[in-house]
Amino acid sequence: MQGKGFYESPKHSFTLDIPQKWMRLNIDKYLLISRDGPFLQYVLVQERHIDQPFRHTKKRFQRGMLPQEAAEVILDEISSDQSVFNFSVIENIPATINRYEGFRIVFKYRNKDGLGFKTIYYGVIMGERFYSIRYNAAERYYFEKDLKTFERVLNSFTITGAQAV
Amino acid sequence: MRYLFLVLILCSLTAGCLTTSLAPVTKDFRLEYDEKRLWQRSKEEQSVLNNSGLVYRDNELEDYLNKIARKLQPPEILARIPFRIMVIKNPYLNAFAFPNGVIYIHTGILARMDNEAQLATLLGHEMTHCTHRHALRAFHNRKDKAADLATVQENQIGCDGAVDLLALLGSTGCMAAVTGYSREFETEADMVGIRLVVRGGYDPNEAPKLFEHLTQELAEENIREPFFFGTHPKLRDRIENYRNFLDTRYQGKKTGTKNTQVFLTKLHKVMLDNAFLDLKAGRFYSAQRGAKKYLRIKPNDPRAYYLLGEISRQMKKQNDTDRAKAYYKKALSIEPSYPDPLRAIGLLYYKEGKKTLAKRSFESYLSLSPYAPDKAYIKQYLAQCN
Repeated sequence: MQGKGFYESPKHSFTLDIPQKWMRLNIDKYLLISRDGPFLQYVLVQERHIDQPFRHTKKRFQRGMLPQEAAEVILDEISSDQSVFNFSVIENIPATINRYEGFRIVFKYRNKDGLGFKTIYYGVIMGERFYSIRYNAAERYYFEKDLKTFERVLNSFTITGAQAV
Repeated sequence: MRYLFLVLILCSLTAGCLTTSLAPVTKDFRLEYDEKRLWQRSKEEQSVLNNSGLVYRDNELEDYLNKIARKLQPPEILARIPFRIMVIKNPYLNAFAFPNGVIYIHTGILARMDNEAQLATLLGHEMTHCTHRHALRAFHNRKDKAADLATVQENQIGCDGAVDLLALLGSTGCMAAVTGYSREFETEADMVGIRLVVRGGYDPNEAPKLFEHLTQELAEENIREPFFFGTHPKLRDRIENYRNFLDTRYQGKKTGTKNTQVFLTKLHKVMLDNAFLDLKAGRFYSAQRGAKKYLRIKPNDPRAYYLLGEISRQMKKQNDTDRAKAYYKKALSIEPSYPDPLRAIGLLYYKEGKKTLAKRSFESYLSLSPYAPDKAYIKQYLAQCN
């Protein structure tokens, strides 16, 4: 569906501004927006309890984890996925998300058809919840083209569930 | 989806040329028409896999594995099937053969084996799937293809890592790797395989031990069904079959070699690398076992102590912090200029609020590794320590 404008998650835990001409996929568990289709570019926002298991690593988040340790869990989750080819980390640094200390990872990979993708992944643990917002796009052409739009979405991203945890 | 599509294509390919029986490969072997297509498809899938970054590149190890494989088969078979053994970076215990003789072995199962005889058991089994043309026979024998497809889908559920593998491989690889073959083919691969083990001069009594490793893996990882060596017959039954076979055929006979020392020397590197993969996958106990096994071969390698420290730090169980520190200190006592344990020990001190000790460790870390990829984090910690 058309997703332009202010968005608040069903559980009122985060808000953001959806850019013009971007479409929103309505799923309770996450928010996915894209302009040309998720195969070309998307912004994905997820919220999860820290005890929720991952799919590819048996590691879990822990209470009191440093952002660097949380980033390591995310990287292990992605790099343990056997359908992610030629995975390489370009950057892994501390980052502030909505005033909270978190991390920013930039990585590249290829899918089984040989297509290259690039991702910017921000994450933060707040109490017992983990929030992430990532931008994923085809490395060729699309990544650069929509990077500024993602930055605007990121700047509008507000975690409102922070007070509740 | 891609998988199901390919299975349908292959089923339709074989539908017009059903063969009631196919002889195993001999010196007079000629590829059937649809077998050529199967081999071609295998090559395409191998090309994807070989360029995926998932293949473990170690020429010396590959040469060693291929040398063992060549010992198991007579020259006329080797002339017909160009067997090639490759290794996949994956800590799960698995191996699979493509119909054209290319066999992929996970680092996980290599690291778990104890000797060359167990390796020969695995190779003998997988090679038999190729020499006895199980992929083609499986397609030819399918009378109820719709039911088979349903079984294929059902078998995927509950197999750790299987969904990934399905996404990665097409039909030819998946047949062997994920869904396995029928009970008949798996039993044939076991029984022919063990004869190859004996032919190669190896101790066949090691064969059941390979399956015991798999049984242990199932229990530890709480995996409902293995997908290595197929899903039928059950592992326990197969161990029993091996034992019966050995009791009747080889009772009282002189046993062959195990080549334990050569095997451990050749595989020590993959053991440590796989233990790091186990850690990434959160398989802490497997990682711990791998690191300790490695230390029995290379008792003074600081990387193994660092790994044990990382396992303890990340497991976060009672007393693990102290244990982690002890391992890091051991690593540093062997190699004082090894930066990684310094960073790790610094993190532990930092989280304990011991800022002075943390600062000292982080500063040493950055002086040894000024371009460390996590420099930004460390500088942030140092700012906090100040």
